[in-house]
Amino acid sequence: MIDLQDIQKTFNKGRPNEYVAVRRVSLKVEPQLVTVLKGPSGSGKTTLLSLLGCMTRPTSGRIFLDGREITSLPERFLTEIRRRTYGFIFQQFNLVKGITVLENVMLPAYPTGERRAVLRDRAMELLELFSMAHKAPSKVEWLSGGESQRVAIARALINDPGYVIADEPTAHLDTALSREFMEIVATLKGRGKTIVMASHDPIVCSEGLVDRIVEVRDGSLVSDGPHR
Amino acid sequence: MSAVERHRNILDFTLASLMRRKGKNSALIVVYTLVVFVLASALFFTQAIRREAGLVLTDAPELVVQRLVAGRHDLIPTAYLEKIRDIRGVTGARSRLWGYYYDATVGANYTLEVPLEAPPPEGSVIVGEGLARTSGAAVDSLMPFRTTRGEITTFAVSKILPSDSSLVSADLVLLSEKDFREMFGVDRAHATDLAVTVRNKKEIPVIARKIAEALPDTRTISRDEILRTYDAVFSWRGGIMLALLAGAVLAFVIFAWDRAAGLSAEERKEIGILKAIGWETSDVLLMKFWEGVAVSLTAFLLGIVAAYVHVFFASAGLFEPVLKGWSVLYPRFRLVPFIDFPQVAALFFLTVVPYTVATVIPSWRAATVDPDAVMRG
Amino acid sequence: MTPFLPRRSTLYLTFVALSLLVLAGLFMNGARRVAASGPRLAEERRQVRAYGLTDLVLFTDARYTRHPSMADRNAPFQDYPQALEHFPSGSLMPPPPHVRFHERR
Repeated sequence: MIDLQDIQKTFNKGRPNEYVAVRRVSLKVEPQLVTVLKGPSGSGKTTLLSLLGCMTRPTSGRIFLDGREITSLPERFLTEIRRRTYGFIFQQFNLVKGITVLENVMLPAYPTGERRAVLRDRAMELLELFSMAHKAPSKVEWLSGGESQRVAIARALINDPGYVIADEPTAHLDTALSREFMEIVATLKGRGKTIVMASHDPIVCSEGLVDRIVEVRDGSLVSDGPHR
Repeated sequence: MSAVERHRNILDFTLASLMRRKGKNSALIVVYTLVVFVLASALFFTQAIRREAGLVLTDAPELVVQRLVAGRHDLIPTAYLEKIRDIRGVTGARSRLWGYYYDATVGANYTLEVPLEAPPPEGSVIVGEGLARTSGAAVDSLMPFRTTRGEITTFAVSKILPSDSSLVSADLVLLSEKDFREMFGVDRAHATDLAVTVRNKKEIPVIARKIAEALPDTRTISRDEILRTYDAVFSWRGGIMLALLAGAVLAFVIFAWDRAAGLSAEERKEIGILKAIGWETSDVLLMKFWEGVAVSLTAFLLGIVAAYVHVFFASAGLFEPVLKGWSVLYPRFRLVPFIDFPQVAALFFLTVVPYTVATVIPSWRAATVDPDAVMRG
Repeated sequence: MTPFLPRRSTLYLTFVALSLLVLAGLFMNGARRVAASGPRLAEERRQVRAYGLTDLVLFTDARYTRHPSMADRNAPFQDYPQALEHFPSGSLMPPPPHVRFHERR
């Protein structure tokens, strides 16, 4: 469980362009559920996702991961936790160009010092799961949008994280691909992953498998409730 | 899970990313290899010559006394020999006869010299290997020379010196004292210079001073000075090395400037992605470290191997036009591969370390970005 | 199953190892040649002693590069120190220390 307590995030603090992206938010993310952060662009949901995923530190407030306070940990430990605990799917996919699909999937695990053969087998399994095994040796720039996203998802899962965090995952997908993505989310949920997404896409928000929708506006939580 | 695997995994990625800009990076390696090659060639070449000079010239005359007239080296009266022999500590003094001869038909300069020991019989000469090669002289063939009186005189070649020793004798024409004096019109009262032997090597400077006092129109050159000549002339401060080093350093500075000016937006973004997917700052720097090592170590290894082959197998063939200059008679010698390992190590640190540092340092700031920078776009 | 090439790091490290091996081989060849250079050095020393030689034959174009240690004080810099050289070889070697004015005792 991720527990945000009274979190505030201010950018450019003390300068004329200072602005508060997240103000005094407390939020508990329950394990093995699908949570959606909903809100217009600029509402602070991406910043909230970064905070949930230990990518950035809050200006004030505390974050607990499975009961352990992680706000004040040094970078080394934080990165280690982040690598083991979270898989990230970015809006722009953020695949590394010029190298193969397989290498992209293995990339997050390189610094762990795991044996490459083991790593490769696991990456191939994941690509298999998303029907992308045949693309393993291709360069990522030849992939379509849907394919790119499936590679990005496989990459997010390579270290077998408990949490999957996705920022506007359907922003660059058409309706059919968006539905396909939600099927993948269902698969992940079935495997016991906790999923947090930022989205204002109706296809995502109206989906039955979403357990909870948190509405964000101007850096604050507006409504928080189980999905009807 | 091991440190070695971590390094290898990151190296895998580094090499894959280097392969993406194949053209640019191969060009970089080629140029860098060339720089190492030229520097290492010069290093091997000069070091081998210095060592051989140091070993061989230890038997050069302990003191050479020359007469100077109006700032120019001039013939010295042989009467000076007696004055020198009278100085305490001097065990012997002999006149040396040597000079240069320009062979107009071949277009080459020879060094004519009367050996101190066992000169060839009158009417015959012993010649160096380089001279024989250039002029086509063979044993028993006749070599014509033009004397100072304008007459042509011929000598029979009695022997050609072994090519193995051409580093000291390539252009020599050894002849008898009588022939030398007749050819150049040097009377018996004069010599080119004087070779002096002393009893105690430590007294050489003292004796040199005494000679200078007794014969104020002379100067002395000690064996130490001869040996130091080759040390200094081919040290890194000497002409060749300094010119090459300056070029290489300049090239490197331009390159480092280009590097330090900053990473491309693409590289910066990539580092952001790596941070976002769970790489630590140290992992990114490790990747950059391997990038620097991969390029510079490759260049170093290729360059140094090529330089060794060039200098010690191909007789520094690429330097030939430079060393030849205007001389027609060019000594061709296979150098003895004396290698100064500290110098090789210095070259290693000069090539691999600065390049790697220049690769790592500019990415430092990019590597310390917050991992969420990518999400903020 | 997709065919996988050998790991790049394996290829690279193999290259480095092979180069080091080649280099070691060359240096060993060098050491052997140095060890075998005894007769050649002995012959050169013999000639230096017997003929009264003072210099190496590196250049034959200018007298002060043919016999740098015997150079006139004025010869290596014909007009003034650091003048542009007349002979190519002269620009490759500076005058020996004992000829340079400022180092003259």
